[in-house]
Amino acid sequence: MPPLAAFFLKRLLTALPVLFIVLVGSFLLLEAASGDAVDAYIARSGAMDAEQITQLRTEWGLDKGPLYRFGAYISTLAHGDLGWSTAFERPVTSVIAERLPVTLLLMSIATGLAFFLGSLLGVVAGARPGSLRDRILSTGSLALYAVPGFWLGLVLIVVFAVDLRWLPIGGIESIASDKTGLARLGDIAVHLILPVCALAMVYLALYLRLMRDRMAEIWRDPFVKGLEARGLSRRRIVWRHVARNAVLPAITMLGWQSAAMLGGSVVVESVFNIPGFGRLAAEAVARRDTPLLLGVLLCSAITVIIANLLVDLAYGKLDPRVRIGR
Amino acid sequence: MSSFRIGAALLLLLVLMALFAPVIAPGDPLAISGQAMLRPFESEAHLLGTDRLGRDVFAGLVHGTRTTLLVAFFSAAAALIIGSIVGTISGFLGGVTDIVLMRITEAFQTVPGFLLALATISVTGPSVPTLVLAISLGNWTQAARVTRAEVLSLRERDFVAAARTLGMRPFEIAFREILPNAFGPTASLAAISVATAILIEAALSFLGFGDPNRVTWGSMIAEGRTVLRAAPYLSIVPGIALVVTVLSVHLIGRGLSRTERLQP
Amino acid sequence: MTDSYLNVRNLNVSYGSTTALKDVSLQLEKGGRLALIGMSGSGKSTLAMAVAGLLPKQARIDGTIDFAGHRPKLGSEIGVLFQDASGSLDPVMKVGDQIAEVVATHLGMSWIAARVRAAELLDRVKIPKALSRLNSYPHEFSGGQKQRIALAAALAGNPSILIADEPTSALDTVIQRHIVDLLDELVKDGGLTLLFVTHDIALASEQADEIAVLYQGELVETGAASQLLREPKHPYTKALIDTYISLDRPRSTRLPELNMADLP
Repeated sequence: MPPLAAFFLKRLLTALPVLFIVLVGSFLLLEAASGDAVDAYIARSGAMDAEQITQLRTEWGLDKGPLYRFGAYISTLAHGDLGWSTAFERPVTSVIAERLPVTLLLMSIATGLAFFLGSLLGVVAGARPGSLRDRILSTGSLALYAVPGFWLGLVLIVVFAVDLRWLPIGGIESIASDKTGLARLGDIAVHLILPVCALAMVYLALYLRLMRDRMAEIWRDPFVKGLEARGLSRRRIVWRHVARNAVLPAITMLGWQSAAMLGGSVVVESVFNIPGFGRLAAEAVARRDTPLLLGVLLCSAITVIIANLLVDLAYGKLDPRVRIGR
Repeated sequence: MSSFRIGAALLLLLVLMALFAPVIAPGDPLAISGQAMLRPFESEAHLLGTDRLGRDVFAGLVHGTRTTLLVAFFSAAAALIIGSIVGTISGFLGGVTDIVLMRITEAFQTVPGFLLALATISVTGPSVPTLVLAISLGNWTQAARVTRAEVLSLRERDFVAAARTLGMRPFEIAFREILPNAFGPTASLAAISVATAILIEAALSFLGFGDPNRVTWGSMIAEGRTVLRAAPYLSIVPGIALVVTVLSVHLIGRGLSRTERLQP
Repeated sequence: MTDSYLNVRNLNVSYGSTTALKDVSLQLEKGGRLALIGMSGSGKSTLAMAVAGLLPKQARIDGTIDFAGHRPKLGSEIGVLFQDASGSLDPVMKVGDQIAEVVATHLGMSWIAARVRAAELLDRVKIPKALSRLNSYPHEFSGGQKQRIALAAALAGNPSILIADEPTSALDTVIQRHIVDLLDELVKDGGLTLLFVTHDIALASEQADEIAVLYQGELVETGAASQLLREPKHPYTKALIDTYISLDRPRSTRLPELNMADLP
């Protein structure tokens, strides 16, 4: 088997039990809930007689045992069906498919920005550990690391949308603007600036610290003395050698950070009124939509698994000591 | 060491604020205490102003410290305890138990901690104990991994072999000999766990999933958000309290990890 | 000493309160081969690193190190070879690039030309199939090969002096021999000046024209290799030679087992 295929197969085999545990866990959690989707439905749609309620319960399979419901859920899952969203009265798959792209866009831009800028500043700080600029950047990153994303989002709104009126206050694009093509893309980009910043800042601080700390360690590695002895310029040693070595552990962080960022997108999307996957999670909880919440949990687990897979692939390319498929 | 001192001083101040909240700001912080929407420093009775309903911001801030620290401390402690127990069992028993426990750990890592907390709260309803449970559920995996790695390296050491020859039972060895020795590296996660817990609690109550009977900084920020244009300070002030609290924890954590690194 | 290339006068090096070198003076002519010998802690490596200008920042240095009137550039005039070869190569850069970057930096060649030169250098240090191994990483080579590559990188800038700090002591005996022969050949062919640090007096006597003996930070004896071996003046040198002659002792423990009571 080609090494890449073997790698994917191996990852799939480890991912399946993990996904199953996620399913069991989230299902158990929701089984423990008092009140079901029908209760929520009644609360929303007003009075219903007992017969209608029973009928609805049978229709949604709520009169059977939990094991039955779980089995039914698994079997529908096997057909690529995530069930019926009671809140949206549409298949869960279609609700998620509609919401996920926005969040993936938001997350990937935020990840890119946080990683790129964070590592860059980390190199600046780590180029001379203990120097003034290192102390300023390290302290700054520590402070930034303490800022909650949703609050930062509000502050950004106050400054850039309310006071300065430079950027839109929320949403993903201008309402009822019939922009198409590039104009629409530009409109979305403008709407994304503040949410991306709110989401990215914490991780920017994280990557800054990670890069800086790792570089400080690598400076003590004997090979750096070897490079100095060969008369290489400081700039070359910093960028081509020390930073290059330090970036590898930062890359391994990217995969698991995607989980944290998905969590962060819940609040950030709520702050900026972005109709994304994150806000969907909050809506599913607020509207007691069990199938939707299960779908959201499962999809975020799959997203995190895929992100980790991509990161491992990239790591295998970047660290010559690791060979995929061996 | 100086960052540790600054952090410790700040946190001590916050703890004192939480302990003496009823003295510093007497009365129910959720009760209406004056004219609505007073700006900070506008009135001597309401130093930091009042919100949309006329509740005192300063009182909310002081009482909010209680919720924040209570939830953060207990959920971080719970996370560390759950994590180190799982890690010890996993590392000590090995084999199938290890594989199963590690898969479970991985599953918990795969689901975003905040979503897990959200889902848990939706089931249990929001109160301080359930918040502690919800937050620690997504926060224990790191401790489990660290403890497991430490236990694996400790398992083969002499004192464990000695305990075996003395006829101690496996679980006795695991929890009386190994766990206490493996706890050091796990405890170094404490600062990051507390900080994470503070931020998750704040985010939950910001979304309206916090304890409705208590003032929390997150709910104050959410409350202020409705009048963000007219009174941005209502959201900004509690946020600053959050930043200061999390920062103090990080400063302590950084100080601790430095001193640990200096020790041979 | 007709054409003195390196001139060290009254060199003192100390770290805080510990003195590493005391009033050391020595000369080395162009093309000369000098071995610095002594046991660990004698200051021999400190002297070599001081000459290379690679002492750590906290070292306090007094006295002069003069290279025919100017300060030479590392890499292009001084080549340095360390004890730990894997420790002088970047683990995540192709060896061809590591050599080529030295060539490009010091000889001002284009990157392509530098890579060609790197292949020639790898061939010169007898790496088999040099051209095809340009794109290999350090971990893909054996310890001896890594030291050869480090030597190629040290020589890539065409230095006129090579400082080798125990370049073979981390390798096993057979490989040691290969490296020593290679070093000998390259130094002779290139007319290099050699400053060679070792604790092995046998190696010193065959590699060097001159030997300088260091003992507790002081230069106790210096002279032509053959002369010094035949008629050692200082009791420490005598002891060194005695231990060398009694070959029945294990090699690695020879020096530390010197009887200090015999020494002044």
